Order: sequence, then structure tokens, then C-alpha cells
Amino acid sequence: MLPLLRSTKALKPQRCLAVSPKRFSHSISDHCDIVIVGGGPAGLALATALGSCRNIQASLRVVLVEASDLSKVKQWSLPEGYSNRVSSITNASRGFLQDIGAWPMVEVSRTGPVEEIQVWDGVSDARITFSASEMLPAQSTVELSRLTENLNLQRALLHRLSSLGAVELVDRVKVQSIIQENTEGSTWPLVHLSDGRVIRTRLLVGADGPNSPVRTYAGIKSYGWAYDTHAIVGTLYHAPRGPYSSPNTTAYQRFLPTGPIAFLPLSETASSLVWSTKPPLAAALKAVDPSVLAAMINAAFRLPEVSMRYLHSRIVEAQERGSPITLDELREEIAFRERSHAIDSHSAYSSLVVQQDTSGIPPEGADGLPPLVTSIQPGTIASFPLRFSHAESYIGEGAGARTVLVGDAAHTTHPLAGQGLNMGLADVRALADCISQAVSRGLDLGSYTALLPYSRNRYLENHKMLAAVDKLHKLYSTTAEPVVWARSVGLEVINELDTIKTALMMSAGSRTQTNAGQLSWGLAAKGVESVARSIGSARSFGEGIAGMASAGLQQLARQITNPRQ
Amino acid sequence: MRNLSSARSLLRAVWTRRALHSTAYRHTALDNSHVASSSSTVNPDEIAHFSRLSSLWWDERGEFGMLHKMNPVRTQFVQEKLVEMKYEDGHESFDEQRVLEGLNVLDVGCGGGLLSESLTRLGANTLGIDASLSNIAIASLHASSDPALSFSSNSLPHSNDTAISHKGKGKVTYEHTSVEELLARNGPNSFDVVCSMEVLEHVDNPRGFLHSCAALVKPGGHLFLSTIARTPLAYLLTIFTAEKLLRFVEPGTHTYSKYINPSELISFFHHYRAPSPSNTSTKSSTESTSQPWISRLVAGRPLRVEAETRGMIYVPWNGEWVLGPHNEPLTEACNYLFWVRKPLQ
Repeated sequence: MLPLLRSTKALKPQRCLAVSPKRFSHSISDHCDIVIVGGGPAGLALATALGSCRNIQASLRVVLVEASDLSKVKQWSLPEGYSNRVSSITNASRGFLQDIGAWPMVEVSRTGPVEEIQVWDGVSDARITFSASEMLPAQSTVELSRLTENLNLQRALLHRLSSLGAVELVDRVKVQSIIQENTEGSTWPLVHLSDGRVIRTRLLVGADGPNSPVRTYAGIKSYGWAYDTHAIVGTLYHAPRGPYSSPNTTAYQRFLPTGPIAFLPLSETASSLVWSTKPPLAAALKAVDPSVLAAMINAAFRLPEVSMRYLHSRIVEAQERGSPITLDELREEIAFRERSHAIDSHSAYSSLVVQQDTSGIPPEGADGLPPLVTSIQPGTIASFPLRFSHAESYIGEGAGARTVLVGDAAHTTHPLAGQGLNMGLADVRALADCISQAVSRGLDLGSYTALLPYSRNRYLENHKMLAAVDKLHKLYSTTAEPVVWARSVGLEVINELDTIKTALMMSAGSRTQTNAGQLSWGLAAKGVESVARSIGSARSFGEGIAGMASAGLQQLARQITNPRQ
Repeated sequence: MRNLSSARSLLRAVWTRRALHSTAYRHTALDNSHVASSSSTVNPDEIAHFSRLSSLWWDERGEFGMLHKMNPVRTQFVQEKLVEMKYEDGHESFDEQRVLEGLNVLDVGCGGGLLSESLTRLGANTLGIDASLSNIAIASLHASSDPALSFSSNSLPHSNDTAISHKGKGKVTYEHTSVEELLARNGPNSFDVVCSMEVLEHVDNPRGFLHSCAALVKPGGHLFLSTIARTPLAYLLTIFTAEKLLRFVEPGTHTYSKYINPSELISFFHHYRAPSPSNTSTKSSTESTSQPWISRLVAGRPLRVEAETRGMIYVPWNGEWVLGPHNEPLTEACNYLFWVRKPLQ
């Protein structure tokens, strides 16, 4: 075979049109259609979506490059405890994962359904409740979303990928540099890997996180700022809910002026924490004994805001003095605070009961609060800074042509709405559809024209969501009285209007059907009619900051599902 | 700055040259000074020139941006029509995605190769021809960077020593020639599909041009054309808006009087007779007695199995072209696509 090839070559005339390509340069070891950089949930989901698409499977070569060891994720042992990185997978995202065959591989027993979400204002206690049971009878599922460990999801995607076999996974290999091919008329990127390989690729996908090297190569600027906030995550243990309470399927979020604290149910006795707060406080809370942190978490859902402010300063001061607060000291402080707020030690708002008695009838208001945290899984407390950022474009051009960004490489958001991963999965779905469409029309899928529908589909949607989350964060960071009053009225008005709430929930990705958007718009319209009937409500609903609170929430909810998909 | 303007003027020359398919070559001074008479020896200066031009043909947000956006719609029309006719021919189960696989396709007036590349990726063996040597060089340069196109210039051996990843079977070739020369050399009935998109409005002798294109189609094969209708709307959109107002394309790109209406194309193929096998001369084709490509008209429209016209509409708020509905003459008042099938006899 080889000599034959050689002789054929020798026989060919050496006459050469000067457009001779330099692609046969010795350094290029591989030609590829799509290189995905990053093996996080977004990158793996994209690989799976592409791999399960028939016309892509048949015609394209797809490679995923990841620096860490993916076999560890794939062989993740499903330990007894839970991982601290948990995401809320909306019904829309779950539908997508189902479509690409990944959801059946998820260990469902480790996921927690969310059937109700309670959100309240830390200053005024104004509350809004979203409940799956309030939804239309036609709704087939009774959950709003499902809390899933990121590792569980990644593991499922890896198993699905190996059963598909259509995507080549290159792990424990770093991208060392990306250089545009130095040939006339070519814009193909050359990806230099740490194992010495150089892959020439038609399209380079940046699924490589907030500090995306692909974005840097593409020369795409990212717009945004750091929130003066860190998020503390961890796995919490608590007693199971009693026979007279609803099961542990309610997610709770309280907006404190320092940031929201969220309690996300994983099982009857375990839940996940996401506590966004000021960096010094986050540092202090991470440094204290876990039992102190558990007591602080319980207090943070229960004590009035003024007392939380005091406890925060006590903890930070003690930390600065070098003598962290002890559990006894903290309990003493809390006991004093509860007495001064006239909180009875048997009421639901007392956080001092060591062993919650769940056998009898729970005290009034218990369903409005998460169960008392008894311990924290060792080693799960971690924190990270929060940023708002949005790339100026998702598609690279010119010197950074043939690049596209998805997930955190394109945008990062505050976790208060639990939408980061869901936005990433929506990106992935849109990009896979876009690529499939381009292939079916014979387009060069690395070209701007081929990728434009993806950007059109996602950019504005993501921007609206990012902006809504950003506004909510800012709105709830203040304690100024008129603002608190207005946002509380806005929230309570929405809470009383069932039609609007149903519409909000459905667009918040809790429906899998594709017509959710249209249906929810119809319902929202009905809701507006009923508001109009009550002039008082209409005024507070539509005006000023109240309007902003409700509009922000509606925006947030509405943008999660894209009715066009 | 100087480079840009010289590239622009060369580009204008390219457009003008595209109009010369069916007429004798009128070499401009520019052609004589920059384009070598033989396609085999091209000097590095040329490469620099072609590269600059290439960045215009393939600058998807520049001069040819609208054409890039139009390309998927043209491909869609070709695919849909081929699929439709394959069902019409009695094929029942086949992969619609692969309808172009293995077909011999000619793209007349290929320009930078936008359509040729797409059809090749879909599995066709495509020959792109253009009367402009610089266009051919640009198209070749661009195709050479894409391993999926199995591009080989006539003179360059196709190398197999790198791991080329493409799994498609299509292959693209470009040639600097006119449709008449190709017909004279290859003879009639050579291609399963002949396409000539956005060319007809640039030629001087459209009847002769259509004759040559039609002769190259195999019996039972397909001819696809796209052009612009001669209507006030077309003037408003393609000349007044696109050239004068918004400068989407260089002023002078289009000439209103050269626009051709769908009814004129239909009428041409209603009267057209394929040349008889014994007489390959294109000049005497009308005297042949074989059956017309369009056998009868119903209310001025052909049967959908013989010929069809479809509008192409630009939707500015979506920034994309869409294929107009079937049998809706109003949508064909500006850009439109035309398909006709050569009878088997």
C-alpha cells in the first residue's frame, strides 16, 4: 500500500498552482470538525447532544478536550454523602437531557424533586410560594425542578457518551495554545495540546468556564462585574419531616440584605446550602466550627434581619480578634435575641431546639421554614466569588473566527435563581440544533452564517435572564424602607394572583412541553385582566419598584424556557 | 487604504466578468496585467491579490453577506426538489439527507464557491466554473483549506498522507471556463444537476446561455436557476435599497433591464426543444422535434413535476432569507428560484 502511494505521488506532475495549501504541514496531527474545550456539564452535554444527532454522527468528527481525569467522574462511586455542587435542573432542561438519552443514566435516587418553592423578604417577611400542585391538571409532573449533583449529571453524560461512541474524549490533556492557521484564505484554529498533538479544527467550542481560554483566543470581550458576594455551599443534614408535615420537597430562599440564603432539598434528611453573602462574612463562616455554622444557618432562616445583622458582626469581629465564636456563645446570643423578639422556644421560629420533635403536630408556621440543620457533612463547605458577566458575542470573527461559546464561558450569573446550568443547557441545545441544521444544508459549520441562528436564539434570552437576576439581587440588597415596602407589596400581590403565578411557574422551565411559553402568556394575560379589576392592586403592581420586583420575577420566570425551541 | 480600493476595483471587475459567460472574452487591462494566461503558473503577487479578494468573497458580513445568507435557501430548494422528484420517480425509502450523494453537479458562475462547497459537503461531485480566473483562484484557495471538500486543483495531486477526517464522499473541482467551452469540450448530457445561481441577470445573451446550460443536463436531470424578476419591487429592493441606499452591494452590481421574469423562463422552457442526439450543435437545438421541457401550462403555471418557481424573501428583522410558499406568484416578484427537469426522451 505504502510503496504504491509513494509511486503515485512520484508520477504526479510537480506543476503546482500557487494556491497550494499549507495544511500538510508536519505539525498538524489531526483534522477535526468540532473540538469542544471543557468537560464540565455544558461541554459534556454538547458532546452528547451532537453524538446523539443522526446526521452529525454520520458526517462529523467531534473531539472533547478536558484537563482533568474524566474516568474519575465516570467511575464516581455514588458515595453515601452528597457532593456540595448541586444544580436545580428545570423540567425543560430535564426534557432536553431525556431527548439526548442522558437522563435515564442519572442516578435518580440521589436527586431531590422540588415541588414547592418559598421565597421571602428577609426584611419585611413578604412571601411568595410557587407550588407544583397549583399547576394545571394537565401537567403531567408534580415537580418544578429536580436538584441534581453536578457529578451525578456529568457521570450520566459520560456513560451516555461511551454508549454512543461518536465523540472522542481526550482527558488529562490541557489546551496549551490556540493559534490561527497561518495560511492564505484559512481561518482554521490549530489547537496545541499538552500531549504534543496539534488539532486543526473547523469549529472550536468554548465550554471552558468563566475564564475561558477559547474566549480569549476568539478576542471576545466579556462585560460584567464581580458582585461583592461569595457563595458558601455545603451539604446539610436534618431530621426527617414528621407525619403531619409535607415531605422535604420544598426549596426555601430568604433574601437577607447581605444576600440570599437557599435551602435545597436532596432527600428526607439531606439538603444543599447556597448562602450568598459578603466576602468577609463568608470567610468568617467558613472558618468557624461546623456546628456554629449549622446554628447560624438555622438562625439565618428564622431570626429577624436586625438580629442577623448583629450576629454577623459578632462573628466577623470574633474572627478578626482571632478567637472564633464558640457554639455556646452563639447559642447564648441567639437565645437572648429570641427572647427580645418574643420568640417562644417551642415555636417554629426558634432555632435552639437541639433535637426537633417531628412526631407530633408541628408548630404553626413550620411549613414555611426549612427543617433545623443538625449537622454538616464534613468536607463539603466551600465558597466561591460571584460574578455577573456576559460575553459581547458568542461567535468569534476575524482572527478568532470559527469559535463559539456556550455556558459559563459565555455568561455567569448569581445563583439566586438557580439558572446558571439551565442557561448553559439551553445554549447547548440551541447550538446542537444549529449545527445539525447547518450540516443538513451543507454549510461550513464553523462559518459565521452557520452559527448565527445559535447566537440569535440565545443571546437576548440569556441577557434578559442575566439582567433579571441582577436586578433581583440589587433590589433585595437594600434595607431602605420605601424600597422594602414596594418590593414586598409587589411580591404579595403576585402571590395572591393565582393565574399570574401559574403562568410564572410554567415559564420558569417547570413544564417540558414546547408550547409552555404560549400557554403561559395566555395565562399571564388573564392574570393582568384580573389585576385590572382591582385598581388598588393594579396601581401597586404597575408602579415603581413594586413593578420592578414583579417585572423582574416575571422576566426571570419567562425567560427560562424558550417557547421557540 | 490603497489595497482596499484596488481590491474593490478588482472586485467590480470580477462582477463585470461574471456577466461575460456566454459572450466572447473581453479581457480588461486588469486581467491582462494581473492574471496569467495559463492557470498553471501563478506568481506570489497573485496570491496576495487573491487572498485579499478571497477575504471579500468569504467575508460573511461584507459585500457578499446577503449571498451567504441566501445560500442555505438555495441549497434547501435544490435538496427539496430532488427529494420530491425522487419520490415522484417511484423511490420509496431513501435517506433524504443524502439525495445529492454521488450526483454530478455543475455550478455555472460559481464565484467564490459558496454553492459549490455546500453541494459538495452534501455528497455531490461538483464542478464549479467561472469566466473569471480570479474567482476560480479564490474558490480554489478557500476550498483547499477544507479537507471535507476533497478539493484538488487539476494540477495538484490530492494528498492522502494526513489523517483527513471527512466522511462525506463529495469532491469539488473548479475550472476557469465558460459554459459554452465546457459544452463544446464535454458534449451535451454530462451532468445530473446544473445550477446557475444569481448569474442569469448578469449575462448578455440569456437565451444562448440557457441553451448551453440546458444542453449540459442529462435526460431526467435537473436545471436550477435563480435570478431577479423585472418588477418595480425588485428595482426598489435590489437596486434602490441594496445598492444606492444601504450599500449592501457595490452600486452597478445589478442592471434592471437584464432582470428576467419567472413567466419568461417558463415560456422559454415551454418552447424549448432539447437538441436531438444526432446534432450536438447548440445553435440548431430549437429545430429539434423532441418534447418540450414544460409540456403544458395551467393558468400560466407549469406542472410541479416539470418545473417550478419559488420566491426567496429576505426577512430583515430575522436577518435571514426564507423560501417562499409553493405556487404563490406574488412572492416571486423579486428574488426567485427556478427549477426545470429535462425530459427522459
